Amino acid sequence: MLNQVQRRMLMRRVLQAIPVLILATFSVFMLLKMLPGDVAITLAGENATQERIEEIRTLYGLDRPLLVQYGDWVWGAVQGDLSKSLLSGEAVSDTLARVFPNTLFIVAYAILLAVLAGVPLGVLAASRAGGWADKLVMVFSSVGVALPNFWLAMIFVGAFALNRQWFPATGFTPASEDFGAAVWQATLPAVALAASGMAEVARQLRSSLVEVLESQHFRTLHAKGLSPRAILWKHGLRNVSVNLLTVISLLVNRTLAATVVVEVVFAIPGIGATIVDATLRRDFPVVQGVVLAMVVTVIVVNLIADMLYSVLDPRIAQR
Amino acid sequence: MTESQNRRPTLAELPQLRRRQVLAGFAGVGALAVAGMPFAASAAGGALRIAANANPSSLDPATGGAGSDHVFLYNFYDTLVDWDYATLAPLPGLATSWEFTDPQTLVFQLREGVTFHDGSPFDAEAVKFNLDRNRTANLSNIKKDVANIAEVIVDGPHQVTLKLSAPDTALPLILSDRAGMMIAPSSVGNDPETRADRAPIGTGPFSFVSWTDGEKVAGKANPDHWREGIPRVDTLDMHIIPDGATALRAVQSGQAEIAYQISERQKTLIEKMPNLQLAFGPTLYVYQMYLNSARGPLQDERVRKAMMLAIDRDAWVLATQAGVGEPAYMNLPKAHWAWSEKAAKQVTYDLDRAKAYMKEAGLEGGIDLDFRGYPDQASVQRAEVVLEQLGKIGVRGKFTNGPIAETSGLYFGTEKQGDVLLSAWTGRPDPSLTYALLYSESSYYNAGRVKPPAGYDQAIQDSRSTNDQAERAEALGRAQELAMGAAMNIPLSIRYEVDALSSKVEGYKPNLLGKPKFRDAGLT
Repeated sequence: MLNQVQRRMLMRRVLQAIPVLILATFSVFMLLKMLPGDVAITLAGENATQERIEEIRTLYGLDRPLLVQYGDWVWGAVQGDLSKSLLSGEAVSDTLARVFPNTLFIVAYAILLAVLAGVPLGVLAASRAGGWADKLVMVFSSVGVALPNFWLAMIFVGAFALNRQWFPATGFTPASEDFGAAVWQATLPAVALAASGMAEVARQLRSSLVEVLESQHFRTLHAKGLSPRAILWKHGLRNVSVNLLTVISLLVNRTLAATVVVEVVFAIPGIGATIVDATLRRDFPVVQGVVLAMVVTVIVVNLIADMLYSVLDPRIAQR
Repeated sequence: MTESQNRRPTLAELPQLRRRQVLAGFAGVGALAVAGMPFAASAAGGALRIAANANPSSLDPATGGAGSDHVFLYNFYDTLVDWDYATLAPLPGLATSWEFTDPQTLVFQLREGVTFHDGSPFDAEAVKFNLDRNRTANLSNIKKDVANIAEVIVDGPHQVTLKLSAPDTALPLILSDRAGMMIAPSSVGNDPETRADRAPIGTGPFSFVSWTDGEKVAGKANPDHWREGIPRVDTLDMHIIPDGATALRAVQSGQAEIAYQISERQKTLIEKMPNLQLAFGPTLYVYQMYLNSARGPLQDERVRKAMMLAIDRDAWVLATQAGVGEPAYMNLPKAHWAWSEKAAKQVTYDLDRAKAYMKEAGLEGGIDLDFRGYPDQASVQRAEVVLEQLGKIGVRGKFTNGPIAETSGLYFGTEKQGDVLLSAWTGRPDPSLTYALLYSESSYYNAGRVKPPAGYDQAIQDSRSTNDQAERAEALGRAQELAMGAAMNIPLSIRYEVDALSSKVEGYKPNLLGKPKFRDAGLT
């Protein structure tokens, strides 16, 4: 398992995560409060008197100072209580348990596709650097990075859901209910999300591989009589694995954010669609809960990446 | 049923373009209805999936506040009175007949042998519980609808008498709306102050299964429903998809069978798609500008009139609804039985007169107003068209946009923010309710709580004191004429129902209220 150096690093990273969590949730909380509007008026409904609106403010604690409201939320969150939706009354933890796995499934699917397609393309381009295959891959990946994923999503829906009904245009079944259906329904959104990731992986992998392959110690490997294939796959990839890992972890975080739009296009009940709806309706406990879940995910992904760095390159943990 | 026959709009009375539109719409409806008939008696089945455009505010008819809720509520609840889809003329529902024994006494005969989804009986006691809850409970959001009911008397197991505080012939149609939706008293423990927001138990064609917020409301067929062969499917899933284009794609690619209230712009697309059917027709939904006549320059009737005359409604329909719809000259569509030619005449497009009014008010230099609206793309586009048109008479301003419930709350509620709200009126089955709610002095939707012109309240009262359709139409026309004469609000256009149906759907009909019912929809 973990050695002492790695355990120390893990502890350090967890402690560092605490101020990040506080800063992220606090700024989102303040931003929400700065938005014009008052959820108490929405809750009070039509024909509400000023007394009723005040009563609701008191009932939900909306009349307290902002810092007290935030402190109250943090205190609850520390104890595992993320409060309830102001509008539906559903516990935020229940909402997250319902929608977050859907988003994670699509993100994981998209990352898998991006890596499965991006790595071979990057290797191909690097091994034929300057050749036509390299140029082709670079053109494709430039286009891939430039295309907005929501636009791609619409194009995919038109081509593969409406013209040829290979995939559904909307909806999602949780993987826990029917894994096959989840894969089928998540394919179009995952491909749309994966396109730019694939391009990113291919480009980054190519440039770092080309750099490594041109270095002096790779010349030595050639001189030693190793086959180009062994040099590339055994030594080359290992050398660039840290870079690749960095690209993938950044990609996870970016894809998570991109679900906000793609989930709306595909009518998928995930955290992206949830945070859009909750923000529009000023349902701040839900927004806070989703932000917390997203920040924790980003921190965990970074932590895993850090741990893997130290496995791939033990010098890192000692720094 | 003692209500007199509604006057159906004759096609010859309609202008050329509209006649064709209505023919297209109702021919489709007719064909669907005819095609549906043989199936009505045959074994039904299948899962009907609807793309619904909003999460319900509540599934308790007394507590909810959104006009988009009805589409959900109609599945779980029957109403005491039903209506004709094309004309909104009252028809028997849970009440088999009704009669005004005198202007202030309304007697309902109730359908026998009907049970709620929990097995408890639907009877006169249940009706009394519901009507008393709607008119007196603290949680009730619809007290105003039934304010004229003074007492509900149980005469026998299947007869109730409503004693009214004032004559109100609008009540039967009012009881075809929220106020007439009957919930099982047992489902709230016979306590009128208990909410049934998330556990709707009625007598409707579907019983409630589940509601996942922002995701799905599910129901299953009520096998004991009193209507023969209704419902015609086994299950009903209403998937909440707020984006209209996404909803349409769901039907196109087979994830839903019906998407309703699609943008008018998509009508041509639906017509062109081989696997889709179009359901189409006028509704009571009116796009309009609400004016707060108690604020700033809008206190001057001449300014309001100038704004009314500055709107080119034909251009508005073309620009904001792709030409699918009709200009609104009052709060009703032309096809409605209470439409008044005389009232409509006051609402024209006349820039010269508009400018003259501004000059007369001493405001030729123009004015700045605080406009309120909603942030979605279509609303923003409507806002741009309004500003462009009003700019021609020097009325300038900036829109502040926010979520519907909140923006309405700030505008109509106690805060009184904004001079103009660009929004819509979703309509009520009885037009007297529309007029009472929009322009009465104490009404919530009269943002300035300003007094309507003399004779307005009398006109509403007159419309509720007679059972004769022509007399009612005359009184309502008078009310509308007074409201438009004082430019209390500015109607813009009538929305047309545009629904996309998969080719498997038959029997479904849109209705003039513009709030679809799915009980007749079957699948081939």
